Amino acid sequence: MTQFTIPTVETQRLTLRGPTQGDFPAVAAFYASDRSVFVGGPMTAEATWRHLACEIGHWALLGYGRWAVVEKTSGAICGIVGLWDPEGWPEPEIGWDLFDGFEGRGYATEAALAARGFAYDVLGWTTAISLVKPANTASARVAGRLGARRDGRFDHARFGTLDIYRHPAPEAV
Amino acid sequence: MNHSDIPVLETDRLILRGPEAADYPDFKATFSSYRSRFMGGPLNKYEAWMLYAAEIGHWHIRGFGMWMIHDRVTDETYGMAGGWQPAGWPEREIAWIIWPDKAGHGYALEATDAARRYFYETQGWVGAVSYIDPKNLDSIRLAERLGAVKDHDAETIDGNDAVYRHPSPARLRSGQIADGIALEIQNYINPLFKPKGFAID
Repeated sequence: MTQFTIPTVETQRLTLRGPTQGDFPAVAAFYASDRSVFVGGPMTAEATWRHLACEIGHWALLGYGRWAVVEKTSGAICGIVGLWDPEGWPEPEIGWDLFDGFEGRGYATEAALAARGFAYDVLGWTTAISLVKPANTASARVAGRLGARRDGRFDHARFGTLDIYRHPAPEAV
Repeated sequence: MNHSDIPVLETDRLILRGPEAADYPDFKATFSSYRSRFMGGPLNKYEAWMLYAAEIGHWHIRGFGMWMIHDRVTDETYGMAGGWQPAGWPEREIAWIIWPDKAGHGYALEATDAARRYFYETQGWVGAVSYIDPKNLDSIRLAERLGAVKDHDAETIDGNDAVYRHPSPARLRSGQIADGIALEIQNYINPLFKPKGFAID
């Protein structure tokens, strides 16, 4: 029997819950747009469907993964944020994809803080990184607001060169 | 869906369970090899891991998916079989892959037959197809042993695949196809009995 549960995490303005089939239109729109250029996109709808399936399977394989981030006031899904460590990753990562129209409100930072809290407090991680494409200045600013600092680079077969940002240790946050 | 129960199927020699983390190395070995050339491979390790995770996510999204085929006794894995319909697939597919060094024992036939019966009898499927590369002769022959016939008019995934249509639940129940499959599986289990037309793989 293959069983797993994706916990729900609440922040002041956001609900982080497991991704579902109903999220597909919003996720497909994001990965079809140029907004996804720093995170492996643009992708076809077919590729995005498999990616969404992969987001869910990540939870089953590792016991953690990324959440669909829902704006409490509107109920809209505004991004995919959480913990990510597929095979070949340098070490477990905190990642954030913020969808079009939800920028400038601090949602990525708020959700990533919740994800980091989950990693440190629930999973017992002792460190965490985030990977950011060098040209992705908006994402680098989120990493900075989270207190993460540049810590080398990582070359990936598909994503190319990525800057590694290391988060403050659990005892420092 | 926050919670998933992937059913377990049992046959004479096999147990079919949902894909688990412990089975990933076997999956990666095959999908990074030439064996996977008709299933979108060979894949690098990132692609292989993502596909394996997607195999599990497929169950959550569709309510069906691919099982890992285990030996009943030793629990070792032999391959995968089940249902598959990612975005872009015109119809629900019944699919299988056997690890290269486990071919020739009828495991794909036994597992796929059990998967198809589960989809027909428990999930209420009214039919299914298999999308097969025309060069994949082993799979074409297995589709035919399962009673599927080439459907020249069916929509394909991308024009590079042949569509084999499985017998309907009613036709499968009617006896001849199911009896033939059962006979062939029994022949693998007890090879002393060798009828004419024994498949060479």
